[in-house]
Amino acid sequence: MKSTFKAALAAIIMSVGLVSSPTAEAGKRLVLPDLDWTGAIVTCRTIQWVLENHMDYKVKTVSMPGGPGVWEAIRAGDIDFYCETWPSYNPIKSEYLEEYGGDGSLVRIADTGIIGASGYFTPRYVIEGDSSRGIEAVAPDLKTVQDLNQYKGHFKSLESGDKGNLIACPEVAWLCEDQERMDGLGVDFHAQNMGSETAHWAEMQAKYKRGEPFVAYAWTPHWIFAALDLVEVELPDYDEAKWPATNWPKDICFKFGSPASIEKHPEVVAMLEKHRLTNAQQAGMIYEVDVNKRDVDEVVAEWMEANETVWRSWLP
Amino acid sequence: MRDPESSSSDTLTSRFWSEYRHWVAGAVVLLISILIWKIQGGETVFPESWISAFPFADKVNEFDKWMRPILQPTTRALGAGVTWFYEYIVDLLIFTQWQIVLVVLVLPAFAYGGLRLGLFAVAAVGSWLVLDMWDAAMETLSLMCISIALSAVVGIVLGIAASQSDRLEMIIKPILDTMQTLPAFIYLIPAFYLFGLGAPGAILATVIYALPPIVRLTNLGIRQVPIGIGEAATSFGATTIQSLAKVKIPLAVPAIKLGVNQTVMMALALVVLATFIGAPGLGEIVLRGMQRLNVGKALEGGLAIVLMAILLDRVTYAMGREPQRTDQGRVQIFYLFPQSLETFRLIRYIESLIDLVWRQIGNAGRTVTKLIALPPCALLRAYDPDMGIKIHKLLLRHAFLIASLVLISIMLLLDSYTDVFGNFPKAWEHRFRTPVNQYMDVLVTNETFYAITTGIKKGLYFGLINPLNTFLKGLPWWYTCLLFASVAYLVSGRALALITFIGLLFIGATDLWAFSMITLSTVTVSVLICFVVGVPLGIMAAYSRTIDRILKPILDTMQTMPVFVYLVPVIMLFGGGQIPAVIATVIYAIPPLIRCTTLGIRELPEEIDEVSHSFGASVIQTLMKVKIPMAIPAIMIGVNQGIMMALAMEVITPLIGGKGLGLEVFTGMSIASIGVSLQAGMGIVLLAIILDRISQAWTKTQREAMGFS
Repeated sequence: MKSTFKAALAAIIMSVGLVSSPTAEAGKRLVLPDLDWTGAIVTCRTIQWVLENHMDYKVKTVSMPGGPGVWEAIRAGDIDFYCETWPSYNPIKSEYLEEYGGDGSLVRIADTGIIGASGYFTPRYVIEGDSSRGIEAVAPDLKTVQDLNQYKGHFKSLESGDKGNLIACPEVAWLCEDQERMDGLGVDFHAQNMGSETAHWAEMQAKYKRGEPFVAYAWTPHWIFAALDLVEVELPDYDEAKWPATNWPKDICFKFGSPASIEKHPEVVAMLEKHRLTNAQQAGMIYEVDVNKRDVDEVVAEWMEANETVWRSWLP
Repeated sequence: MRDPESSSSDTLTSRFWSEYRHWVAGAVVLLISILIWKIQGGETVFPESWISAFPFADKVNEFDKWMRPILQPTTRALGAGVTWFYEYIVDLLIFTQWQIVLVVLVLPAFAYGGLRLGLFAVAAVGSWLVLDMWDAAMETLSLMCISIALSAVVGIVLGIAASQSDRLEMIIKPILDTMQTLPAFIYLIPAFYLFGLGAPGAILATVIYALPPIVRLTNLGIRQVPIGIGEAATSFGATTIQSLAKVKIPLAVPAIKLGVNQTVMMALALVVLATFIGAPGLGEIVLRGMQRLNVGKALEGGLAIVLMAILLDRVTYAMGREPQRTDQGRVQIFYLFPQSLETFRLIRYIESLIDLVWRQIGNAGRTVTKLIALPPCALLRAYDPDMGIKIHKLLLRHAFLIASLVLISIMLLLDSYTDVFGNFPKAWEHRFRTPVNQYMDVLVTNETFYAITTGIKKGLYFGLINPLNTFLKGLPWWYTCLLFASVAYLVSGRALALITFIGLLFIGATDLWAFSMITLSTVTVSVLICFVVGVPLGIMAAYSRTIDRILKPILDTMQTMPVFVYLVPVIMLFGGGQIPAVIATVIYAIPPLIRCTTLGIRELPEEIDEVSHSFGASVIQTLMKVKIPMAIPAIMIGVNQGIMMALAMEVITPLIGGKGLGLEVFTGMSIASIGVSLQAGMGIVLLAIILDRISQAWTKTQREAMGFS
């Protein structure tokens, strides 16, 4: 009985399928990645919104962590375009982009308009105190990274021993070289990788809520600056020769795609070439998504409707 | 010739020696180890020349670069086929009216599991609607069904092949062992490179992960068919193939069904991991919720996965059982509420009402079937009376199926020609993420609670983890290798000692010595905590039905809830680093230990209580002196499983700051170096094999010493 039951059910399902199988317009389908930081997701969704609402495209999003996996997926044709890449965090330029000496399997399309900056930050209450929460200023003269040495006792953690603790770049693969930077600048701090971005922001938020002093790596634009009142701890200006004992360069973010997709969808490329978001625009949406925990699509749709002139200028 | 005095002291020492020699030997080894550690000073360094002479990761990467273009055309085509099939099913499930899909999903549960399982199925499928996760659930369900079906087909074929050839079994066994211990993260990336992003890669990885139990159980099931039966078949002139197909495989069906059931659970464990290569569905909700620190959202997704896991598990389990006739007799067969509530009249009324409705539905189904069966059977009977009666009986036996088909067809017709079926009402949707998130905020800032977590954290770090880390990292590598090899030799024999020695050398030569020592200390501390917490809980559950009843659903949930759900709470409460890694590992690895302890004490014969009571022992004395020692083999099985699960957790804890071999797996993944991931993963597998074999051999000798078979 069992096998007949199953077979009959399967038959039914199949016949339903023949009746109601969806008709999709071939050729106007795109796959975009949903990367693992909210900024990139927001940038992608603004592009997706225009494609779906004003260019008759169907867009499928695929969730996956950014980095080599996505590049390989684009090269293999699983994904069409990458909406926002931060050049200083990955070897994409030298490996894939022809103009930088790569093999040409990926092609740069245009900037996203986002100018990223990375650095070290500490809560304002560490420097100025916060009388409303009863927190004393533990490091009133903290301006540069070197100043950290005189306050290192306040920043100790279990695992840092006598040194101060820096909540460093969360993932080893981002090649931030925080420990080397600390050592190179003569700062007696231990760089602690939290392992994932999730853990990184969770640790910062938990410490902030309890009013504990900490120094942490972060980048703008990011929701954390809307959620917490942070002050930058200055690093010496970027100098390629001194890396990593120097600040990060400014990150001019850009979009890219595979040569095949670019050839196949010229009007999408024309739109991507015009599409720009400013840091402030992106940060506003990131805030709604991450701090107010709202649905990304809802936030993006709301923003697009309120900023018609912006997206009209993107249309090819 | 000896004087009596010395002989008695002789027996005393020898008795002491036979009783405590394990402890003495252990203490001596520990002393020597500490001495060597003190002399060595600092961290041990594996010889650089050995490491450079063994460029394992580079070679793997070279091989991968060379192999990929050769395989890709074939595998990509296969992947495209799988994607087409997957998308077909998903579109079908999502675009069909939800009422119809619900009925189709729920009917098998009613058919095989009766009313109780059917109602649970309604609740589980309904929860996806209520939580507004219908589309995601359909995607996960399609992925799961395709993976499970593929695993079952491939697994049964492999299992049958293995049962026919001892040599093939010898080859397959270690491969299955490796598949079960190799962290799935390692083959996720190759799976996606070869088969494609999203569904195809995820399905392949799931098949690899879920295959071992079905192969093993099929092989075992066929091999366990008594030799006499096979011989009887041959003596009646059946060929090997005939006796296999007609006699042995049918007899092995129960074992094969059990294998399918276990495959289901394994497959569901991979739902969230597969999101790392773009698999859609419920896993994505959990991962996204986790990444945005939205604990409530992750918990909702986790709950949906748990319900799907339990549903698929129970339905496949029910399918494996002998069919139950639910429609016989007048006795009430269904009880919704616990027996203790039966005294209330209202409860009884509700139950008999449900029972009545259930019966009437059954009757209606049979009437419909009879009506359908009547005309063709009447025609047939005119032609061939015997045949007509047979067909009539056959149709009636499948009354449930036929009634279901009629129901579904009517719904389909209704859906095509009217619009009685609307969308799921928005007002029925309920989410609980906001209160969960608010509660999390309260907990994080609560000072008492923070004081407690900080206390635990400091105690663990300075008391256990830090000393163990420095000790293990400080012991000279050659000493550690020799020590493990000699333990392996003592409990098992030369073969295991050799495996252990070579395994540890491999870890050293791939420059993973320090990482593996951190892994070892994390696993040791985690299992130790599991033991200290889990054994008393297990004992209490063995003695008190109430505690057992409270613990059971909690343990069930802990075992099916995706670990990603509780990573964020752990880090918010304990901060990052090795301690939260240990705590997450304990949460993951403790259920089997509790279960095995309870089982071990319960399965002891009842006479033990009576005998020891008659000797005047109190309950506590009986427990401490008799029962716990007798339950040690069972507890050790729990410890063994705990070790395995703690090692499996190694690849997850890097997400919250774990620093062992798992971190290298992650690093390899994010720099797209399969070689780096693979060698770290093999390190974990080797540690797992070494620890598993040693503890199993030890448990076996213990069992034998106690006279268990």
